[in-house]
Order: sequence, then structure tokens, then C-alpha cells
Amino acid sequence: MEIALAGNPNVGKSALFSRLTGVGVISSNYPGTTVEFFEGRAKFMGTTITVIDLPGTYSLAGNTDDERVATNLLFERRPDTVIAVLDTTRLERNLVLLFELIESGYNVVASLNMFDAMRKSGRDVDVARLERILMIPAIPTVATKSEGIDSLLFTSAQLRGKSKFKVRYDSHIEGMIRELSGMLRQDDWQMPLRAVSLRLLTGDKRVVEKADPAAVKASETMRDRFLNEHGEDIVVHIERDRFGEAGRIANEVVGESGARKKKEGLVSDLTLKPATGIPILIAVLAAVFLVLVFVGGALEGFLVGAYTDAVRDPFDDFKDGLSSDIAKGAAEGLYLSVMAMLALVIPYILVFYIMLALLEDTGYLVRVVSLLDGVMHRLGLHGRAIIPMVVGFGCNVPAILATRAMGSKRERLILATLITIAVPCSAQTAIIIGTVGNYAGVTWALAIYLVLGATLVLLGFVLHKTIKFEPTGLFVEIPDLRTPSAAEVLKKTYLRIKEFLTIAFPLLLAGSIVLEMLMAEGILQQLVAPSEEFMMVVLGLPGLTVVALIFGILRKEMALQMLMVLFGTSNLALHLSSEQMFTFALVMAVFMPCLAAFAVMVKEFGVRSTALVTAGSITLAIIMGAASKVLLNL
Amino acid sequence: MVTEIAEQYLKVVYNLTEEGGVAKTSDIAKAMDVAPASVTEMMQKLSRQGYVKHERYHGATLKPKGLKIARQVTRKHRLLERFLNDLCGIRGKARHDQACMMEHVLTDDAERQLCRMLNRPSECPHGKLIPKCERGIACEKCTNDTVRLVDLGEGDVGKVSHLASKDREELCRILAMGFVPGSEVRVEKKVPMGGPIIVSLKGTKIALAREIGSALHMVRA
Repeated sequence: MEIALAGNPNVGKSALFSRLTGVGVISSNYPGTTVEFFEGRAKFMGTTITVIDLPGTYSLAGNTDDERVATNLLFERRPDTVIAVLDTTRLERNLVLLFELIESGYNVVASLNMFDAMRKSGRDVDVARLERILMIPAIPTVATKSEGIDSLLFTSAQLRGKSKFKVRYDSHIEGMIRELSGMLRQDDWQMPLRAVSLRLLTGDKRVVEKADPAAVKASETMRDRFLNEHGEDIVVHIERDRFGEAGRIANEVVGESGARKKKEGLVSDLTLKPATGIPILIAVLAAVFLVLVFVGGALEGFLVGAYTDAVRDPFDDFKDGLSSDIAKGAAEGLYLSVMAMLALVIPYILVFYIMLALLEDTGYLVRVVSLLDGVMHRLGLHGRAIIPMVVGFGCNVPAILATRAMGSKRERLILATLITIAVPCSAQTAIIIGTVGNYAGVTWALAIYLVLGATLVLLGFVLHKTIKFEPTGLFVEIPDLRTPSAAEVLKKTYLRIKEFLTIAFPLLLAGSIVLEMLMAEGILQQLVAPSEEFMMVVLGLPGLTVVALIFGILRKEMALQMLMVLFGTSNLALHLSSEQMFTFALVMAVFMPCLAAFAVMVKEFGVRSTALVTAGSITLAIIMGAASKVLLNL
Repeated sequence: MVTEIAEQYLKVVYNLTEEGGVAKTSDIAKAMDVAPASVTEMMQKLSRQGYVKHERYHGATLKPKGLKIARQVTRKHRLLERFLNDLCGIRGKARHDQACMMEHVLTDDAERQLCRMLNRPSECPHGKLIPKCERGIACEKCTNDTVRLVDLGEGDVGKVSHLASKDREELCRILAMGFVPGSEVRVEKKVPMGGPIIVSLKGTKIALAREIGSALHMVRA
């Protein structure tokens, strides 16, 4: 048995999904798209029910990728029941999607979610009356508190039978529906002819392709006639009638008892006003950074300490048992990879993603997106690009994957390029802090961030001018600020970390094993002599740093340790001046994406674009390094 | 000011002479469902008042003064038929009869709003042309009584009048968000530096780019 969850964005659909399914959630991309949907299993009276979480959409018209995926999934999977998840506090606008679901002939159960918020706002819904009007079961739920979940599952599993509810369109349109239905045969369609006719009238491509040419022709004539007579597209009238009906129903069932409270209004408003919003944004970012430095640092110290204490000695014994240098190198690589996991992934990436999920789920990030949209447009990007960029501060792999949320391929490529070049990931941050921050002082470290920031803006601007296109306009609902649910935050974090673990980590592991083997054979060190001159003349850096650069391709986070090993001291100040450290860190930050990021880019954008970005980043890194050498008189 | 019955006669003459020619007494009598003698009497009266040119045994044509009234009444009649047909689903004789009664009490302002609400229809349900309004401003100008959403200021409230998007997908997206004609929108904030406009609509805040805000035409509340 299969149940699908459908609903507008921001109605608590995924929270409900988590409550219904528990562990073992699979996320997949719908073939040929970048839209993600989730699948999980729920146990009910000894049977297993598959639950599909459709992407959040406002309609089934198929005008956006999300809508297409939602409709296609509904169509292909033919779920036994569709749960329409509604935000009860915004019943009116949420009903419209429900109408479409009923119209398309699915067995629908309404989940009146966020029912607690409704009561809190001093309003009440006459559930029985709503059920009578819509002729479907409606279950009040509070997904965040697990209320009503059993009842919802029980009703959905038992439901047999379709609602006879119909939205009444204006008589002109009803006439067209009748006429078109007469031209179609029910046997050809899996949905009611009424829905097919409406989709013909709105010109839904998927229906138009399948339908009898005569009916298609008739529908086109009707549409044109309608446009001539009314001067307005037929979809406008169809939607107007749906919203009109929704408004009437909402008026009938929602009782307005007591005054509505506007609690979060003020804070919400402050985050959207530039004068207050920008300082708030800076404060939030600073808080995130501080948590990372302190909590992450403490965690790192603890984990690495524990790991070394527990594993180092037995591991050394094991390594000594190995005969060849290459095997020893491989073993060392393994050891270091696990250490890197403990030192980087858990303390920094995990903590970072938990905070990111918190910011997302409170609804704050959408506000940042709106606040910065205008500025981002100058870089040829959306305000929405903020999110992948922020993700990029953790690791570029999930960030590149997160660019999927952007509209066009070009927009995605611009964003991915900016992220790989100008957004320092946690490993690059470690280098910047570890070299410049530690030895040369905070001012130098800040200078690097400023240079990177300027690069971002300039590069964005240049790319925007060279790759011609207009970013699609922002059009997004701003949800109320709310308390995030722990389950949701964990799920999001889990999915992002999973992307890191499954894509980036195996490559890191393989890379570091190869590196250690090369080191064991002394191959890497041989590169130092021939490139010494180049490094010295162009970048003003000691020849040994070339190893760190190459190392950085595979294991950026280890480049710093590498450098210390090469110099034979942990006090880098003995070998590098502040200026040299600055140049080194800057080159490392801009230099080619690590192997994992490279692999993801190939997967997402193809070899050609990736090679171009990589070549660009190397060139840019060298130019910037050389410029910094000249300016700083190295 | 003419009486309701006079308006009715002028309208009938207009209908009969719309495509040229004259309105014969017998045709007018048939359309009004009265005796030809009553028609002759009324025509003579209207002719004396300068509304029509009436020739015995030939028929009647409208004079400019009569034409103006006839056009206005016909316009109201046909708009009302459109309204009764499209929005109320009333057909046949009932539609015509009700429009005939309503046309005389409909004020000019209501007529203007009706025209806008129906989105400036050009034809009545029978396919006859709806006479243009006599307001002396172009139809486009009339819709320019509306303002684009981007031109509203912070705190302003308006109702969606129509959507001027040529891109069908965009149109559908805007509609699906709930920006249907008649819905009330309040401009909460216009983020500076080309940022989006933040509006509330049916209890939800929505951020929309300025391009989208220029496709939405609003009537100030």
C-alpha cells in the first residue's frame, strides 16, 4: 500500500513525513530533474505502508519542476491515498491544491496541520463541517508534537472512495468542460474527464500530447474564444474560481473567536528591514562563526585526542608489521583519513550543518534571501544563492549539490564557480586560520577574507556580464518565524552529511592513501626541486610549499600539517614571513577545487565546464598569488 | 433625462439600425411586443424631442442626441448579458429579460466597474459588438486607473485587477500563489537596492521580484 503526502511549501509536510515514517528514509532525485523527493515506510497494523513525500507545490499544473515531479509521481505511483497536508492557519490558500487533488480523482485525506497554532491565534475550525463540504475525512494534526499522526495514518490506510466535491467554475467554463468531456473517452484516461478537460483548457502539455487531436483542437479554439471575449486567459478565471471557492469554504468553517495575536510580527519585520536586518545578519553570522570556533575546536581537540590515544599505538604496531613502504604508506593514509574525519567532519561540518538547518527551519534564511536578493541580482544571481554559498563554508560538495535549487543551468554554473573559487570551505578556513591567523595575526586573516569577498563580487559581476542571461525573479513565500523541530533539523543535517560521506569521503580516503604511498616512495618530494624556481619567482614562496599545493588537491585539510612535516617544525613562522603566509593561504583558498568537489562538478556540469572552472581557478590563484607577491614585495 | 420606456425604444432602434438602414415601425413593434400604433406615437414624440428622425411609412433612424443614449443603454445591456451569462450562468430569454430591466438602473460608475471586472469584453453573448464607452479616454487609459504592484508604496493596500504577463508559465505561477483578480494585497516592504517586494496575501507573506510586481495590476483600496 502506498500513501503520498502533498502540500504547499512550508506547511510542515516533511515534519509530518518524519513522524509517519521514522528511520530509513530514502531521498532520490526524480529522473531527469534535480528535484528531490523522499520515501519511507510506516508500520500499520502489521502491514508496511510506503509513504512518498512529494515536493511542496502550489498547484498540479506542471509549470515548475517541482510541480511536474509531484504530478508525475502521483500519476506513476498511483498512491492508494493522498494526504493533503494543509496549514490550518492559512486554510484558504491551502485548499486550492486540495481541490486539484480531488478533481484529479485521488482518494484524499486532509491533514489539518499546525492545528495548535490555529487555536493559539484564537480561531477555530469546524472540522465536521469541512468534512461535510469537501466529502473527505479531515484530521487535525500537529506534526511537530506528533499529535493526530496515528489517527491520520489509520484514516489514510482505511480510506476507500473518492470525494464527489466539485469546484464550480463559471458557467462558461463549465460549458466547455461538458463539451470537451463529451469528446473524450474515460477508458483512455486514468483521471476523471473533468480534470482532463480542465487541463486541456489550461494547455497542460502532458495532457495535450496524449489527447485526441480533435479534442485538443476544440480546446484551443475555446481558449482563444475565451481570450477574445474576456480579454483574459482562461487560467486566470479558473484560478479565480478556485480561490473564490476556497475563500467561501474557509469563511464558512473558520470561526474568528477573539482577537488575533501578532506575536512574531516585530522580530520578523526587523529581519526584513535593511537598517536592522543587515546588523542582525552580521550578528547571526558572527554567532555561527564563534560556535564553530569554540564548540568545533573543543570537539576536535577531544575527538582527535581520544582517537590518537586509543588507536595510535596499536596502529603503529600493525604498521610495523607491514613489509613494504607502499603498504605502510597506504596504512598511514587510512589512519590519517579517519583522523581527518574526526578532526573536520564531526566538529566543523556537522556542527555547521546543524546550525544551518536551524537557521533554515526557523524561517530566518528565507528572510536573508529576500534581504539580499537585490544585491545578488547584480552578480547575476538570486537571493536564493545565499544558501549554497553558506553551505560552501562547510564543504563544497553539498554546496555544489545545493545549487540545484537554482533556476537555470547557467545560474547554477556561475554559482558553483563562485563557490569553488571564492568561498573558503572548512578545510581552507583551517589553513587560513592555522597559518595566517595563528602567526601573522587577525588583520592578515581578515584581509584574506576581504580579498576573497572582493573576488566573489568581481568574479560574479564578470561572469554575469560574460554569460548573458537574466536570473529568474524571486518569488517565494516567507513563513512565520517558528521553533524548528529537532527531528527535521537532524534529518536535514543527516542528508547533507550523507552527501559528504558518500561522495567526498571515499575520494578523500583514496586520495590520501595514494598520497601517502607517493610520499613513502618519495615521489612527491622530487617535485620540489624543479618547481622551486617557479614558486620562488612567481609567488615568492619556498619550493617546499608546492607539495602543500598538490597535496591540497586531494586533501586540503591536511595541507597545513603537511607543510609542518616538510619544514620539520610546527612553528611555521620560522620559515615563512607574514607576507608569505598571506600569499600561501590566499593561493590555497582560490586554488583548484579538491578532488571531491571536482568529482561532484563533473557529475553535475560535465567535464568541459569543470575543466574550465578548474583551469580558471588555478590561473586565478597564480595571478592573485603573484600580485600579492609584487604588492607585498616578497 | 429620458424615461425608461424611451430608453427602451431608442435601444431597439439602435439594434435595428446597427448595421445600417432604418428601423421599420413593424419591426420595432415586434421587438417591443406592442401595437404598431403605439410605436408610431412614441416615434413622433421622440422625433419632436430630437432623438430620432422619423418618416411615416419609411421608418426611424437615430439622431446624434438619441444615438448617444441608445449606445449607452445598449452598452449596459450587452455588458449585463455578458455578466449574467458568464458569471451567473443564465441563458436564453431569462438572460435577455433581466438585462433589459437592469440596464436602466445601472449607474455609469457601476457600468465602468462591470466593464473592467469582465475585462473589457468586446462582444455580447450573441456575438454583437458592445458599443465603446463614451468616457472620452482610451480603454487602455481606463485600465490605467490601476497601478502596478511595484508602484504601490509600503503600507498600501490594493486588489488585484488583472495580470499582464505574457509568459504563460509565469502567469500560472503567479496565479497559483494566490494572486487572482480580486484578492487583496498589502505591500509590507520594498527591499531597497532592487530587492524584492514583500507583500501579504491571504495571511501569508510573499517576497516577489520587481519584474513580477510589474505584471500585477492593482486597484487601490
